[in-house]
Amino acid sequence: MLKCPDDEPSRRRPGWLGWALMAPMLLWLIAFVVAPTLILVVYSFCQRDELGQVVYRFSWENYRRIFFDSDRGRLGTVYLDVFLRSAIYAALTTGICIVVGYPVAWFIGRAREGRRNLLLTLVMIPFLTSFLIRTYAWMTILSEDGILNGFLEYTRLISEPFQMLYTPGAVVLGLAYNYLPFLILPVYGSVEKLDPALVEAALDLGANPWRVFQKVIIPLTMPGILAGIVLVFIPAVGMYAVAQLMGGGVDPTIGEVIQNQFFSARDRPFGAALGITLMLMFALVFWIGARRGMTKLE
Amino acid sequence: MRTFRLFLALALLCVVAVSGRAETKKKGVLNLFCWSEYVPQEVIDGFTRQTGIKVNVENYASNEEMLSKLLESEGKYDLIQPSEYTIEALIKANKLEQLHLENIPNIKNLDPTYTSLPHDPENKYSVPWMAGSVGIVVNTAKVKTPVTSYKEVFSGAHKKRIVILNDAREIVSWALSSLDLPINEITPASLAKAKPVLAQWLPQVRVYDSDSPKTALLNGNVDVGIVWSGEAAILYAKNKKFQYALPAEGAHRFIDSLAIPKGAPNQENAEKFINFILIPEVSVKISNAFPYTNPNAEARKLLTKAQLANPASYPPGDPKLETFRDIGKISADIDKLVTDLKNASGD
Repeated sequence: MLKCPDDEPSRRRPGWLGWALMAPMLLWLIAFVVAPTLILVVYSFCQRDELGQVVYRFSWENYRRIFFDSDRGRLGTVYLDVFLRSAIYAALTTGICIVVGYPVAWFIGRAREGRRNLLLTLVMIPFLTSFLIRTYAWMTILSEDGILNGFLEYTRLISEPFQMLYTPGAVVLGLAYNYLPFLILPVYGSVEKLDPALVEAALDLGANPWRVFQKVIIPLTMPGILAGIVLVFIPAVGMYAVAQLMGGGVDPTIGEVIQNQFFSARDRPFGAALGITLMLMFALVFWIGARRGMTKLE
Repeated sequence: MRTFRLFLALALLCVVAVSGRAETKKKGVLNLFCWSEYVPQEVIDGFTRQTGIKVNVENYASNEEMLSKLLESEGKYDLIQPSEYTIEALIKANKLEQLHLENIPNIKNLDPTYTSLPHDPENKYSVPWMAGSVGIVVNTAKVKTPVTSYKEVFSGAHKKRIVILNDAREIVSWALSSLDLPINEITPASLAKAKPVLAQWLPQVRVYDSDSPKTALLNGNVDVGIVWSGEAAILYAKNKKFQYALPAEGAHRFIDSLAIPKGAPNQENAEKFINFILIPEVSVKISNAFPYTNPNAEARKLLTKAQLANPASYPPGDPKLETFRDIGKISADIDKLVTDLKNASGD
């Protein structure tokens, strides 16, 4: 097919109307993303005084504290372990969301037009309730005197209450529950666009269902899966309320540690440094992912 | 025309905003910056009725939150309600106004145990509001042996059945008390001694919660807790099986006081409010709403027997209680130590 250069969207430059329409978004980004990030960057190189006020004197100390353990004189600190733990929780959460969410998204995407909207509404319904109330509800279900333990004891499946709340498992469960819709929705978007004729063609040409899934369906829904992974993984790493409420604060996650710096430890510069480090780690992973994606496409 | 009207509305808004600011400078206002769930509305209404002074209330949830807002907006608040170590830090930084005690005659009602304390030795800057302690709550329906010391809490018998405050300074002070080390002169050496004790204690903890430690106890997820006395008083009032005891090794007494920040616009009104809450009948209303330890000796005479018998509000005997002092920058080391040990005890 011949390409007409003028029609390529990237070549078209936005006129004044385009800029005017984008202005609210740009202002929003500057006020609530760019400016706070710059403040964090400045803070992260500062120090604190006795009262916990930020002292504007340049220092690398906060970053050194994250990467280098001066007590033991080696690289690698408790904070890096905490980063790792948070990443593992988030990765498990993402994994569970894919395994549970993908079939759901597929089913909704293949359903009859009328039923689709109903099913999507069902996915969205939990959002009508406050996040905190849903989390407290889970705590009631999982606690020792809770519904689940009561049921298991009643049916004689267990003889004494099983510790479910305040464990890492409870944290991952809470995260997966809260972020599941964020995976279902983008995958549904891809599934809906997938042309059924391609699946039929693959079957006609002799591919077995597994091969069709592997070679046709997965690649075609990949954009949705990737968007879902980003939407689940990134917020899950930083989420501290679930870790605090359902994990009991026993195994610290990075969100809790950062929150602690801004409140009880009164060390905003160090909290800022942790936040910036987390952001840079995301950026790095994202960049590597994007580069690999590019080379594949080429 | 449309734009003109919009402009007019904006101008009007500015006038209102400016006059609103001017109003705070007039005599009839008091800007109170206090803890949430600590100043009953009844008391505020009573003050307005008696003096005609309008009270603007803003709340905070921690000393640290209060500090950061206070330091960012000087001249906004007339009266604050910090805890003892925060008062000390504010005095050191010269951020509090001296009180004119001649305007606060009711100060004579206070129990001398709660005045002239190390954080404000001459009572020049602060007047106690309520006091409390940090102690041990035991669900006696589940635990039959007495638990009255930190060592008994962490003896190993209650492994993973314990809730404690999620507060690094509190946790470290318990370990120091159990070693008979001072809780207010914390040095790298004393932290090094506390470390092995905490390394043994923290893996036994099931929940860390400062906001509502009573929840885990009420739900039956834990049997023993080290919590604020106010939380313990509520638990005891709900069910007598939750018994409170002050640790034998010594416990932290916290005292929240009223103080006037530097440059407060309505200092006279602030002193009137302080004098008002020291009236015994008013002070009783605070006790009725929030069962902490009332430092007002005259008010205590008016409390009911049941209120005085709540061991979490008024612990019997002669317990070893100590207030916290400002410890400055070593708090960063304390925070690191506790994060470190929590991390090691996890996984």
